[in-house]
Parts: sequence; structure tokens; C-alpha cells
Amino acid sequence: MLQCIFLLSDSGEVMLEKQLTGHRVDRSICDWFWDHVISQGDSFKSQPVIASPTHYLFQVVREGITFLACTQVEMPPLMGIEFLCRVSDVLSDYLGGLNEDVIKDNFVIVYELLDEMIDNGFPLTTEANILREMIAPPNIVSKVLSVVTGNSSNVSDTLPGATGSCIPWRAAEPKYANNEVYVDLVEEMDAVINRDGALVKCEVYGEVRVNSHLSGLPDLTLSFANPSILDDVRFHPCVRFRPWESHQVLSFVPPDGEFKLMSYRIKKLKSTPLYVKPQLTSDAGKCRVNVLVGIRNDPGKTIDSITLEFQLPPCILSADLNSNHGTVNILGNKICSWTIGRIPKDKTPSLSGTLLLETELERLHVFPTFRVGFRIMGLALSGLQIDKLDLKTAPSRLYKGFRALTRAGEFEVRS
Amino acid sequence: MLLNDRSPAVVGAAAAAFASVCPYNLSLVGRNYRKLCEILPDVEEWGQIVLIGILLRYVIARHGLVKESIMYSLQCTESSHSAKDGSDVDSGLVKESTDLSGTCDSEFVNTVSRCYMEGPDEYLSRSSYANRESFELNGAQFTSGKSNDDVKILLYSTSPLLWSNNSAVVLAAAGVHWVMAPKEDVKRIIKPILYLLRSSNASKYVVLRNIQVFAKAMPSLFAPYFEDFFIFSSESYQIKALKLEILSYIATDSSISSIFKEFQDYIRDPDRRFAADTVAAIGLCVQRLPKMAHICVDGLLALTRQEFVTEDFGFEDQEAGILTQVIMSIKSIIKQDPPSHEKVIIQLVRRLDSVKVPAARAMIIWMVGEYSSLGEIIPRMLTTVLKYLAWGFPSEAPETKLQILNTVCKVLEGATGDDLWTFKKIFSYLIELAECDLNYDLRDRARLLKKLPSCNLVSLGLEEETNDLPENDLLHIVAECILGRQTRKVKPESFSYRYYLPGSLSQIVLHAAPGYEPLPKPCSLLLDDLNVAEGTSEMKRAADYSGTDDYGSSSDPSDEESASDYGSQRSVTESSGSDRGDDSEFTSEGNYNADPLIQISDIGNASENQNGVSQSSPANLGELMSNKALESWLDEQPGSSNPGLPKQSQVRISSARISVGDVGKRVKQKSYSLLDPASGNGLKVDYSFSSEISSISRLLVCIEVFFKNCSSEIISEITLVDEESNRAFDSADKTAVVNESSLTSSDDVPTLVPMESIVSLEPGQTTRRILQVRFHHHLLPLKLALYCDGKKLPIKLRPDIGYFVKPLPMDVEVFIDKESRLPGMFEYARSCTFTDHIVELNKENGDSLLVKDKFLAICESLALKMLSNANLCLVSVDMPIATNLDDASGLRLRFSSEILSSSIPCLITIGVEGKCTDPLNLSIKVNCEETVFGLNLLNRIANFLVEPALS
Repeated sequence: MLQCIFLLSDSGEVMLEKQLTGHRVDRSICDWFWDHVISQGDSFKSQPVIASPTHYLFQVVREGITFLACTQVEMPPLMGIEFLCRVSDVLSDYLGGLNEDVIKDNFVIVYELLDEMIDNGFPLTTEANILREMIAPPNIVSKVLSVVTGNSSNVSDTLPGATGSCIPWRAAEPKYANNEVYVDLVEEMDAVINRDGALVKCEVYGEVRVNSHLSGLPDLTLSFANPSILDDVRFHPCVRFRPWESHQVLSFVPPDGEFKLMSYRIKKLKSTPLYVKPQLTSDAGKCRVNVLVGIRNDPGKTIDSITLEFQLPPCILSADLNSNHGTVNILGNKICSWTIGRIPKDKTPSLSGTLLLETELERLHVFPTFRVGFRIMGLALSGLQIDKLDLKTAPSRLYKGFRALTRAGEFEVRS
Repeated sequence: MLLNDRSPAVVGAAAAAFASVCPYNLSLVGRNYRKLCEILPDVEEWGQIVLIGILLRYVIARHGLVKESIMYSLQCTESSHSAKDGSDVDSGLVKESTDLSGTCDSEFVNTVSRCYMEGPDEYLSRSSYANRESFELNGAQFTSGKSNDDVKILLYSTSPLLWSNNSAVVLAAAGVHWVMAPKEDVKRIIKPILYLLRSSNASKYVVLRNIQVFAKAMPSLFAPYFEDFFIFSSESYQIKALKLEILSYIATDSSISSIFKEFQDYIRDPDRRFAADTVAAIGLCVQRLPKMAHICVDGLLALTRQEFVTEDFGFEDQEAGILTQVIMSIKSIIKQDPPSHEKVIIQLVRRLDSVKVPAARAMIIWMVGEYSSLGEIIPRMLTTVLKYLAWGFPSEAPETKLQILNTVCKVLEGATGDDLWTFKKIFSYLIELAECDLNYDLRDRARLLKKLPSCNLVSLGLEEETNDLPENDLLHIVAECILGRQTRKVKPESFSYRYYLPGSLSQIVLHAAPGYEPLPKPCSLLLDDLNVAEGTSEMKRAADYSGTDDYGSSSDPSDEESASDYGSQRSVTESSGSDRGDDSEFTSEGNYNADPLIQISDIGNASENQNGVSQSSPANLGELMSNKALESWLDEQPGSSNPGLPKQSQVRISSARISVGDVGKRVKQKSYSLLDPASGNGLKVDYSFSSEISSISRLLVCIEVFFKNCSSEIISEITLVDEESNRAFDSADKTAVVNESSLTSSDDVPTLVPMESIVSLEPGQTTRRILQVRFHHHLLPLKLALYCDGKKLPIKLRPDIGYFVKPLPMDVEVFIDKESRLPGMFEYARSCTFTDHIVELNKENGDSLLVKDKFLAICESLALKMLSNANLCLVSVDMPIATNLDDASGLRLRFSSEILSSSIPCLITIGVEGKCTDPLNLSIKVNCEETVFGLNLLNRIANFLVEPALS
């Protein structure tokens, strides 16, 4: 069981310490941890499970904040890690982002949340919707109120009704004037294009996000037009497994508010919406770079916020890169990022320039990998379509909405 | 129990409580098992994780492994034992396994599954003793997944959990399937697990670590999904390395080409460490799939061409690493089939000029030496190569120089005809150079090699020197040995890894985290016990045993009883034992226990047990054999237990016990000094408490007193007298030899039964006297006066509360019964640490012949310590069964005694916790009606246990 949770800032300062069991974990474990981070660098930071001399540490890093959990006994490591991920999700959901200042401003809320989420080292309520009922999210009004009244607690007095019901994720009997359900398909495309320009791997990871505001105890069924293309699925606990097993229908009683109904994976797609053609030629201590970006198969919707990023090889002295569209920035730690935005109609955006290599080096033998980012609104690239959404206990009026969005996930082009 | 509850919400919390309170008490799960399985999908996700673990353990303990599972198929490949049970099933299985996964690495899986069962520490340490037989899984420990409903329902209810949103739940469910599911169904866990790779970076690493083991065991499962292991540049180095390793396991003939294409891309990755790993992975792939060797070698050679461009400048260490790795991969490929790669060697040799990294150069040169006689071209180019090497020798790195020397030596050995002279010249030139080298390693090597080849030359008759033949031969053999071809097939890598249950923390950190438990012994939980456990008192008792008892043993407790009883029975009754006098084992067994100090078990029970013994003689023999080895585990199956056992003994729960028979011989009484020679005019008086019980009065404590004359003169007229009584009866002083018989009758017991006085003590002589003393208080010392040579010396006799009790032999059942009647304020507990056994264990290590169980060593040293410091009776030693070898937690020793003066029973229980090799934490519990006495005894015990052993 988890014994203690620490939140560390990116400078190694312990922002928050939450002891969970009777066995106090000394803060010195953080010093130990941070010493190792400094001495071993990133490779230590990316180790999720660390065996320290006294404790086992689980580590999750989100937006510069390190979540550390300590345990001394055997427990499923994924349980610790998954819990920390949930904590970070919930926190960023509550605080509208995750950074040092926000956490320091909202200590009370964070402690209250942790109190509810974990009990005696065992995760308890991790569902964001229920937490919201117990602990009001911070807002201006409550802040003013707390300043004026001096009452800083925003834990509600009553237990959420759901804890007693057989559907723990849903509050009892909410009432809405207009019943609405919104379904969003959010997809991320992972693709790898190798040096020859061939598509090595192209997959889509999608989520079905539902935002429901329904009165009573609604029982929804969601079906897809083409469920056969789904390779893998994972469900929110509210989804009943059996109907899915028998005829691939999602039958569920939704939590109130926004939640992730399911996530899925579709493998072996045939094409990407964009092409990126990098050309690197290198001789005589220089390297010429030329990158072309264009639309391959027009998906029918505009492709937004296209970006291209790559890490310059370490042996490069200076880089002189220009583009005919968008802006090129070379950030610290030698990351070059090219923001294209939308692709103009009249020309193909291209990036060109030269890299100056270190003096002894004749030519470049390592080549960077380009990471591509883009966004397409109103389209699920996988082609997954929602067939219908039914409500069993039909209320008077139901408004159903549907949206789709595709983003680039791990879209990599090797050169 | 709340596990009974209908609501899924309650069950989740109850499961968590169960896991932390009594994880071993699986019998409690039994009644609710089905309900729990059904309710499982509705339990909240964190509870599911725990519940899955509990259910898995229960099923294993209840029904054993599943016949169709991966875990089983390997057992049957190794242990012919199981083949006997169902040869027809096996043959079917083997066939199935071959067409399902031809490449399933049976030995590996075997290791893994055994590790799951026993915990790697135990397994690995045992395999080093090479007595694997002790863990023979017999066929009865397996059950068929198809026919067993419990297994089926567990698999059925966990399969939807593979779709859970919570990665920990998915992995836990996958673990169940991995262990329990029939082979053909294991496939279904693959996709969900792979999908987990998409979740956060942290969990990705954990999942990959688990996949690593799965893939190693059954590469075929993952082979179709190789694309999922392709690497993104944004991933961390650890993840990349893991993915590479997995890729090299699962590569198949069909996928290898695309995997290689990927690898080629990776080599150009800016992360050079990763690139070097990739090269190594290529080598591994080729070792698995020799078909690809030529393509790979070509690719690798091209790489060497590429790399040395940068190598000219040698600006980065990591580049050197890659090149070395390349050469190493090539080397390993060539090793598999040297003749077909002749050209590769030649190409490498040509490239010697441009390869500047010492390690890589050394390796190429090694290859030259190794394959010098291979094919046709290499022998011809040898002269040139060697000349070239000799020419550049002074400028080489030490590493390379060593290899050059070796190579020349090897070549020289195999050389014939014309080249020989050239080689010899080169050789002597090199030796001369090397002998003047700065590096002493090199000089040493040169001197060694100088001697070696000479014999070769002698035998060829080229050297005039005539050595005598035997020495010559010897040298020749030595040369052969040192320089001989090492192309022998390298043994498949030993699986030095440790494997833990999938999804456990220990699997990630690769050592058993505290609290890690391997799967319980198959079928250790029997139906009878479930019924027994229904009664509340039994449940309490079962909890007392902390679940470590092998419930299987309850099927024939009388066997065990008799085994341990026999000795005491013999010692007490001195019975002839005519019914089994023919067994020499028995007599020796009896001898072990003949010491009256230790009576392992109840005497009163003996007659009843005799029944059992005579009825189950044949089974008893085996039992005693193991008992003789000082271990009496019982895991006989209920079916095979003797039908003629007395009914009443069936019901009794007994735990695994050891007989610590020979401890008695080693019990050493601690002696205290009463008078040291300095103050006693050369008279030294030591005393120790004896375990004898006074025959005169129960208030008297027996003390053994040793008088030793350390002076050079004779000391005469020594006697010990109570000071106070001395004052009172002034008349009856110096020679107060009172008739003992008169004292026995008298009601008021004197403080000191006057001892026989010692008339004279020669120098260096030692005399022993038994003193019977009555202490007025069990802590305050008693003042005595010692008279010798007419002088009076005041002395103080300090009491030892450990000897204010006398052994009270009793049965475990009686003990527990009595213990339960002395609760609350009559029970005192303390904890302390114990270190004696470490010395003992270290001693054991040196003594390789006598491989003793660590537990045993602990028990012995603990019992020894107790018995040599207090007058107790060892009732029982309970051993944990389900723990790993190194963890002594759960060990429990029970001692009984009664207070001398009041005959009030005093029960002592010692629980052990901690690792065998570390200081142990003992919890001592004393149950005694007399509070003050009990507390003092407790303190005394704690004190002497902490004291280090006198060695």
C-alpha cells in the first residue's frame, strides 16, 4: 500500500507531502531522489519504479511536476502509477492546468482531494465527477467567500448520494431543464515514416468522450456503424461488458458531466493526411536541409496548426534555416520547431537551410527525426462512425450532439 | 466476513482488508468464491486489482495449476512424473504446444513458472543444490481448466476486465490468464496488454517489463504484433532498450525483414547508445534466425565502412561503442557457422587499417587467430597480416597487443611448412617487443607464450633442443588447452534472471520486495479444511498459524505425530519398541530424542499414536526418513493417505513441525562465577543452574557448583553455608553435614541444603557439587558464606528466573488450549532481536557437505538459546510453508514450563520475523497467571536472547 505521496517542483522542492499511513515516511527520501536525478539526469527521471534504500518509489512526471509515491511492501506497481496519473489528471482538471504556482495557490484543495482519493494507502474515489460533488472546484466566488468568511473548507457536508447507490459513478437524481448528451470522438494518429518515405506504421488511438446532462437514471446505448474496424477497446467502468461482447453495443448509465466513455485503437491504416519529405545532404562540414510538407489525400476538412519539430544532432555548431511559410524557431536544447499553421493553396511550404557541423567532422552520419503535429476538426481519420445513440427511458426532449477531432499523436518522419 | 456482502462496493474494501489482514487464510474465500467471481466486474477498479490476486491464489491453492495452461506444458516436458499420470493427455498437449508455438522456450517457461510457485530465491538456491526432485509436481496437483468450474468462472469473470480503463486491472487480469488460462486462450491477453503501451510513459515501462517475460516464454504470442514494438524517437532510453530486446525475441522469418529495416533506421538515431544496442539486437536476431545471417553481416560490414569515417577523428566514445558492438555482433554470427563466413573475416581483416578502436581491433585480430586454418584464402594471407601486425605492434593499445600475441601464437601452433619460419621470426620479434613493454600484463603474457610454442617446434623436430618427452607432451597439452579452438557451442545462456508474478513490484525491481508471496502450493487447500474452518475456534486457530500451515498435512496428522512422538515415547517409557525394532532409522531417531531435556511432544498421547504408527507403518518409514533429515513436511494427497487412520486424528489440524531432536546434546548451561581466584586465595568457584529438579522440595532450585583450585597449594575444608542461617545456628557451622533425609521431612525448607563439604582440593583439581537453594525472591541475590581453609568468604548467589520453572511437557493442542485460557492481563509480550543464527548460518556456509535448511539452523539456535538459559520444554516448532527460503517470518516456537514453587503453568511463545540472514525480530509472549513472575521471566528471556552467542 502506498505510504506517502510527495509532489516535487521542477527544482526539486517538496511542494506537498501527504502521509497516508501510520508509518511516516521521512522527507529525506525526496532528497535522495533528487540527488539521483541530478547525478544521473534524464535516465533516472524516466524510471517509473525506483528501488531506493528504504522505499520503493513510483514516479510520474507531468508538466514539470514530479509525483512521487512511496511504499515499502509489495504492491502492483501499475496500481501506484495509475493512481498517480489519476491524481495528476484530477488536479489539472480542478485547477485548470498543472504547474507549481497553481498547486501552491490551492494547497487546501489539493490536500482535500488527496484525502478523498486515497485512504490508508488504498485508492478510493478517483472518479472526477464524484470528487466534484464532494469538493467544489475553486472559482472566484469561493475564493472571495473564503477570504470574507474565513471559512476555507470547500468540502461539502453531505456525502454524494452515489456512494450509497449501486451505480457509484452517478450522483442520485440530478435534474436538468434541457437534457443534452454530447459525444466527441477525439482521435490521435500515430505514424512512423521511414527514411525511404514508406509508411511503417499508422495507427489511430481514439477516445469517445461523452458529456451528459441528463435527468434521472438514464440508460444509454451507443452503437457504431463500423465497429469491426476497432482493434482494441477499453471502457469506463460504467459500460456493461456483456452487450459489447455479444453485439458490440455500448450500453451504459453515464456519470453526470464529462467523462471518457471508451478508448480504442485502430491499426494498420493505409495513409496519412500529410506528407513530409525531408532531404538532408551532407558533405564538406556542412549539411543542407530541405523539408517539404504538403497534403497527401485531402481529408475534406482543413488541416490546422501544423507544426514540425526536430532535434538537431549534437554535433552541429550552428544552423541557418528559413522557410517560405510559417515561422522557424530554434529553441534551447537544440530543438528546431517550424510552425506552419494551415497549408496555403498556392504553394508548398518548405524549410531549407544549412547546418554547420563541428570542425573535424566531414559529414553528418546521424539524422534527426521529425515530429509532426496537426489537427483536423470535424473528422475522425480512422473512419469510425457513430451510428446511433439511444436512451431507453426516454425523457421529454433529448438533445444529442456529435463532434469529432483528429490530432497527431506520435507522428514521426525519419530522415 | 464482509466478503460475504452483496454490494460490490463493500466487497472491494473487504478484499483490501483481507489482503492486509490475513492474506494466507485462503480458506475463508472458499465459501464465497463463486459469488466473488460473479461480482468481480462490478467491484470498483482498485478493489478489483486486489480481489483478482486473492482469487488467483485461492484457485491455485484449491485446485492446482491448469493442465492446458502454459505453465503446465513445461512441467510435463521435464518431469516424467506427470507423464505417468496422464500420458495420453500429455502427448496431446505436446502436439498442441508444438503447433501452437513451435518456438515456445520450454526450459525458460519452466523456470518462470517455478519461480512463480516458489519464489525465485528459493528456487534458484535449490537448483544450485541440484535436488530439484523435492518439488515434483505430481499430476494430481493439476486440474483441467475445461472441467473445473472454479477455474472457468475465474477466467470468465476476469476476461472483461481486460477491457478496463485502469491499466493495473488489465495487467492483473492478464496475469491470471497467463498463469491459468488454457494455452489457446492466452492469446486474448495480448492485445489488451499491448494497448496498455499507449497509456502513460511510466506504465509503458512497467508493462514492457512484463511483456519481456511473456515474450521470452512464448515468442509466438507476440510475433504477429511486432509493429507495436517499433520505437518512437520521443521515448526514453529504457523503453527503447526494452522494445529492442522484445523485438529480438519475437522476430520470425516473416517479420525479420521489416524489423531489420527498422533497425537500420535506428542505427542512425542521434542517441548513439541506443544505436549500439540496436546493433547488438541484430546480432541476437541472427542467432535466433540463422537464415538472415548473410544479409545481416553485409549490413553490419557496411556499417563498419560507414562508421570509420567518423572514427578517423575519434571524437566520440559512443561511436567507438557502436563499432565494437558491430564487430561483436559479427563475431557472434560467424561463430555459428564459421565456414560460410570466410569472406567476412577477410573483409574485416582488410579493414584493420581503418578500424582504430582498440576493442574492435582486438576482436578482429582474435578472429584471425581463431579461424586461421579456415578455408583456403585465410591461411594464405596470414603471413601478410601477421607482418602487418608485427610492424604496427608498438603503436597498438595494450588490449590489442595482447590479442596480437595470442593470435600469432595460435597461428604458430597450427602452422606447417614454409610459413613456419616466417611465423617464428615474427613471433620471436613480437615476444621481444612485448617483454620490454610498459604494461606488466603484456610482459607476463609474453613470458608465458614464449614457453608454450617451443614444444610445438620441438615435436616437429625443428629445434635442436631435446627435452624429455613427458614434459614435452605436457607442454603440448597445455598449449592446446590455452590456445585451443574455443568454437565449442556456447551453452544456452543460463537463466540467471529472477522471475516474479506478472504485475508485481518485485518483477520490476527484480528482487523480492517485502511482502512478496509466490503462488501458494497447488492443492494445498483442501475441502476438509474449508469445512473445518467454518467453526469459529478453528478459524481463530488457523489465523494463529498465520496460514502458513500446510493444510494438506492434516490428512494424516497421526503419521506426523507419531514421527515426532516416537523419540520421546522411547525415552520416557524405554519401551523395547518390538514392533519396529528392525528399523535402524528408528533407533537413531530415538537416540536423538533420548535427552530428557527435550521432549518434543506429548507423552500422554503416545498410546493413541502407537495405534496410528502400527497401522501406517509403510508410510511412516518415508515419513521418518524425512524426519531424520530434520524436516517433516507433509504434502501427501488426501487420496493417497492411509485409509486405516483413526478417525479422530483426521480432524486435528496440525502444522508442519520439525523435530529439533539433537538440540539437547548441544545445550550448554551457562556458568556464572561465584568466586574468582583473586579474591578467593586461588579458589575459583563457578556455578550454573541445572535443569534437574530438586527431589527434596519443590521450592528448591538445583545449582551445580564447580570448585577449582587455581593455586599451587592444597585447599581444604571447603563448604558453602547460608550466611543468615549461619548466624542463627552458630553452633552448627563449619562441618554442618546434615543428613539429607531429615530435611525432606521437615516442612520449613531451609534456604540452602547444606552441601557435602570438600575435604581437600588438589591444585588444578575440579570438583562438582550439587547445591539446592531456595531463593527468597526471584530477583534478589542470596548471600552465602564460603568457608575454606577456615576462612570465611562472603559471596552472593544471583538467581536466574529461567530456572525457577521446570519443564512441563505437553501437547500442542493442550498448549494452545491453555494459552487461550490465559488471555488479557495474563499475557505479556515483548520483542527483541536475535542474531545467534547468523553465526550458525555462516558456519553452515563453510560446511558444504551438510546442507542444512536455514530455517532449521534458526530453530536450532533459537531453541538452544532458550533451553540453555531456562529450564523449559520445547513443545512445538511451527514452520511457515508458503514463504520463500530467505524469509523466516512465521516461524513459531512454543515452550512450556511450570513455576517450581506454585506449579502454575507458564507458556512461552516465540514468533520470528525477518530475513534468515539478517537479525531476526522476535516477539516473545508469556502466558502465566502469576503476573509478576511472568513479567520477570519475559524480561529475562528477552535479555538473554539479545545477548550474542558465546563462541
